[in-house]
Amino acid sequence: MENNPVHDLVVIGAGPAALSAAVYTTREDIETLVLEKGVIGGLAAITDSVENYPGFPDGISGLELADRLRAQAERFGTKLEYGDVTKIENGSDVKKAYTADNKEYLAHTLLIATGNNYKRLEAEGEKEYYGKGVHYCATCDGPLYKGKRLVAVGGGNSAAQESLFLAKLVDHIDILIRKDQWRASDILVERIAKTPNITVHFNTEISQIVGEGNFVKRVVAKNNQTNQNVEFATDGVFVFIGLIPNTQFLAGSGIELDERGFVKTNEHLGTNILGIFCAGDVRSGATEQIASAVGEGATAALTIREYLDQVPARKHGDHPHRSMQTDSRTYSAA
Amino acid sequence: MPKSITIFTTNTCAYCVMVERFLDMKGLKYEIVNLDEQPELQQEVLEMSGALTVPITVVTKQDDSKEVVIGYNIPRLAPAVA
Repeated sequence: MENNPVHDLVVIGAGPAALSAAVYTTREDIETLVLEKGVIGGLAAITDSVENYPGFPDGISGLELADRLRAQAERFGTKLEYGDVTKIENGSDVKKAYTADNKEYLAHTLLIATGNNYKRLEAEGEKEYYGKGVHYCATCDGPLYKGKRLVAVGGGNSAAQESLFLAKLVDHIDILIRKDQWRASDILVERIAKTPNITVHFNTEISQIVGEGNFVKRVVAKNNQTNQNVEFATDGVFVFIGLIPNTQFLAGSGIELDERGFVKTNEHLGTNILGIFCAGDVRSGATEQIASAVGEGATAALTIREYLDQVPARKHGDHPHRSMQTDSRTYSAA
Repeated sequence: MPKSITIFTTNTCAYCVMVERFLDMKGLKYEIVNLDEQPELQQEVLEMSGALTVPITVVTKQDDSKEVVIGYNIPRLAPAVA
């Protein structure tokens, strides 16, 4: 493709890890393009309140944190574009990223920071009522249920946090948890216990979402201890049962994934392909915390800086000695 | 160029902000209807789109035909507002 520039770095994804990396790389004069198909800020942006991100003693809304991260990255020259990356390739001298609208992006380095997406229940009726009674984003669609009754599904931090947000809006929430206890942190569980319009049902697995016309009316669940069916009347179902990695676009790329589909890296956040790096929740072993993702973005940026110092086509002159030992593998133009 | 664009949103919807930014980037004007403030319009949105979710973007073309885009869906929104 003519006049297609070779970027120093193309970041795939625009969540906290991606934007943190971009802040670091652009400040180091590493030309950086960020491609995002969804929301700038990733899943963090659709979190009602982030209370455990250091530096914000009163908490901060996910949307505001995402806005601040974006503004900081753009301040140093990061370019953000809409791009749904469907495939990457390790070319002989440059890396390539292809998007759904048939664009080809060339880069000396790629950073995979695509994060996770919500896991589906795979219950009967879930697909049929998606967007009209079945939802995955409380901050988006929760306000449409003011004064109504909801079912929330899941026992982790997201389920607890988002149910607390929904409880401020709706009449009542039944939380269905498959296991016999919460996985969420104690502070959230205590808040749930003190919220009068939330009822928690353990050992309860949802099997069917039943509606009439455009409206959800009830869910059918089973108590996995007694095998008894139990029904909950509801106007909507919010699903928070965990996350799956956004790595489908890596099929056929040669990037090594773990058994759950997350990207494997070394301790410097390099993947098995030299020049392709990974940071944030999509990385195998990630802790799914915004603070960790931001840290990983910074680490990846420093490794990328060292790597780019070795790329002849990108060298602009002598670089200062880097004291940090990062990815020990050596670049080869071959 | 569409005749008009209306985005149905809620106060805390990040995807709605992304739709607004996309239209800003294209230099297009739009009206925002906040369903937090006007919940009485929810039924109308449901009937129009078949979905109870946000964002819903209604693009009115020059011939007064309407295209409804559900969610932050650039592959559908971009040609709808072209």
